[in-house]
Parts: sequence; C-alpha cells; structure tokens
Amino acid sequence: MRLNLFRSILKSFLVSLLLGVGRTSSAAPVDDPATMLRSSIDEMLSVAYVGHGNENLPARVRPLVEKSFALELVTRQAMGPGWRQFSAAEQKRITDLFSELLIRTYSARVVGTERPKISYGAPVELASDRREIPTRVVTSSSNDPIAVVYRLIRLPAGWRVYDVLIEGVSFVANYRAQFDEIIQKGGAPAVIRTIEAKLAAPADSRS
Amino acid sequence: MNQPIFSFLALLLCLSGCAVSGKDPAAKSVRPASSTVGDDFANVPVQKVNDPLQGFNRTMFGFNDELNTHAWRPLAHGYAIVVPRPVRTGISNFFDNVQFPVRFINSVLQGKLTRSAQEAGKFVFNSTFGVGGLIRVSDHVSGLADVPAEDFGQTLGVWGIPAGPYIVVPVLGPSDCRDIVGFAGDYVMSPLNWHTLGFIHYKYISDGVSIALSAVRYVNALPKTVETYDKIKSAAVDPYIAVRDAYLSYREAQMKK
Repeated sequence: MRLNLFRSILKSFLVSLLLGVGRTSSAAPVDDPATMLRSSIDEMLSVAYVGHGNENLPARVRPLVEKSFALELVTRQAMGPGWRQFSAAEQKRITDLFSELLIRTYSARVVGTERPKISYGAPVELASDRREIPTRVVTSSSNDPIAVVYRLIRLPAGWRVYDVLIEGVSFVANYRAQFDEIIQKGGAPAVIRTIEAKLAAPADSRS
Repeated sequence: MNQPIFSFLALLLCLSGCAVSGKDPAAKSVRPASSTVGDDFANVPVQKVNDPLQGFNRTMFGFNDELNTHAWRPLAHGYAIVVPRPVRTGISNFFDNVQFPVRFINSVLQGKLTRSAQEAGKFVFNSTFGVGGLIRVSDHVSGLADVPAEDFGQTLGVWGIPAGPYIVVPVLGPSDCRDIVGFAGDYVMSPLNWHTLGFIHYKYISDGVSIALSAVRYVNALPKTVETYDKIKSAAVDPYIAVRDAYLSYREAQMKK
C-alpha cells in the first residue's frame, strides 16, 4: 500500500518535472539560429508529411511560416525601394497577399512528395545579426541532393528566416525582379491586383 | 559540319552583346548603415540583366511554353508512367557516366585538378562496381559524392568571358551567349557525339543509333525538366522574368562551385 502511494507520488513528481521542463524549453526564445531553423523545419515537415493527405495544407502550414519567417521583411525586400512609396495600408495589404503566395508556394512544393532527408551545414555569419545556414535536401524523386540556403535575421522575438536560396536562386531576388516592372508601371495598386489575380487562379494553374 | 560556324556566330553575338551590356554601377548591391533592424531591406537594387533581345525572347518563351504544354508535358507524363523512377534513375546514371569526359576535360581546363581526379575516380567506380554506370556507387564513396558537374559554359565563365545577352533558344529554352558556345563545346566533348562528328567509327553503331541514344537521354530527363519548369512558373507573377532570373542565378551559382 505504502509502496503504491510512493510510486504514485514519484510518478506525479516525474510527470510534473517533465511537463515543467517542457514548458520552460518551449517558452524560452531560441537564441541559436541553427537550433531555431532545425526545429522549424522539423515542425513544418511533420505537418506537411503527417500522412493524412494534403487537404488544407496551406492553412496548416500558415502558423508555422508566420512563426519562422520575417514575412514583413521578406515582402519589403521583394518590393525594393518602391516599398517606401506605398501607404501603410498598402504595405499591410501587400504583406498579407505576398505571405499568402509564399505559403501556397511552399504547400504546393510538398504535395505528393515523400518526406525529404535534410542535413545541416555550419552557420555562416553575414553580419552580427544575420546568419546563413546551408542545408542539403535529399528527396526520393531527385538523384542529386538539392542545395538550400536559409538566411536568418535576429529580431526582438528571436531568429527569423528572411530569404531562402534554392540552388543559388534567391526567393526574394526572384520576386524582386518580377515586381520591378509592375511597380514602375502601376505602383502598389498594380502589385495588389497582380497578386490577387495570382491567388484567385486555380491552385494547379500553370499560368 | 555546321558546329564551328554555329559556335563562331554565337561568339560574335556574345561579343556584340558584351559591348551593349557594359557594367552598371547601380547594379552593385550596397548595404548602407541602418539604424533599425532590417532598415536596409528595401534598398537592395534589382539585379541588372543583359536582355536586349527581350521582345524576341518573350515570343520564344511563349512558343516554348506552348510546346511544353502540348508536347513535352504529355510526353514526360506518359514516359514517367511507362518507365518507373528507378529505371529512369539508372538511365540517367548511365548517360551521366558516359558524359564523364565533358566534366573531366572542363575540370582540367578550369585548373580544378582535384575535381578532375574525383571525376576519374567516379568513372572507374561506376563503370565497374556500378554495372556500366547504371548505379552511382560513387555516392557511397567518401570524397566522390556530390562532385559539382563542370561544363564548357562554366569554363568560359572561369576564364573571364562574360555571359553576354540572355537568349531564349527555340525548343531548348533559356540560355545566354556564353552557354550557347558552351553547349557547342560540350557537344564536341561528349562521346555520344564522337561517332556523328566522325572522331571515332564505332563498327556496330550507325548514325541512327547515335541519334536514338541522344533522344533517349533527352526524353529520360524530360520529367525532371518539365517538373522544374512547372514549379517555377506556377509560383510566378511574371513567368518570363522568374525563369530568366532563376536560370542566370543558377548558372552563376554553378560557376562559383
């Protein structure tokens, strides 16, 4: 009887200890960019490849992208100097639309594919508040590993991704080039119209 | 033989393009001192691109896009159904192995002797233990995995020859002057073409077989090519610019490896 009581006390103590430890580690901001990136990617992959299809994947991926990407900075880079001419409302609208495009693009990439294996390289310091982390992605569909480089910035909330380079092709630079002419010709309204039209097109649209 | 004429014309076009392009000081990415976090993020100027033939290129891009929709994509899908992925990988490995001289010669031309030794090692391993190159066993050999593939376009770049104008080649897709010359150079270095070029007379291989081999190599690579193109295009707000930037950035990154 006494032994059982001791066991149950010990068990509850251990459980509370474990929960307490868990709570402390999740509440503390991750100050190491490599740890932050690794846990974000693990979380993304476990959501994307959970095994119950790809229905509503963008909705499931959204909170994770919002947590690990500096979405406003990503959008600002993609728009270039034209960004400063936009009103606050336009900036907010464009950030929301562009974030949605980013989330959909990511979701479309993982549809129908198998969970990739990722290996991480050592972080490279770009500036005191910026790091670059090279990774290699091995998928069953590709014979060769794909080089994916993440660029992170330290914000008050912690480290956040501000650009991703796949085989040397920068996500933000690619959109920066695409939006350049659109901004020059029609400013923020043209950008909003363009992204809205893109998002309104069917998800599997090739155009 | 049209090959040298083709290369010469491409080189001429390339040189004229270089004169047009010049160096734009505004294209340099300058990171000014910033007071707030990420303040400099909107300052990065757009990458200047040498694209004087944009009108022609956009037309060719549209033509190639139609070709992709109505010919390459259905062909790639059909091929991927009939030929399972492990077989496609084997075929791709086989042709990669046959193309060994292209990577070897270009590594030497760029002065990357370690890399050329790695290529030779890969060729020996894969030709023997890899059943004539069908299995890339070198991936499991320390020092022989992930060797960046060199080609003549990269060699010209390493030699300091500028890329010249961006060109969308009918049927073949995005390229630039330097890579067109590079393509011709690699064509000559590839053993697949030595019979057609008259360098070597394989007793039992006719011209027809030689062409068929090249066709198999091209069709086998189609599913991957079409998939990559569709991925870039489906996320793009201006597919022409997205593909152009992706191509030029990708080649630039390859050259630095």
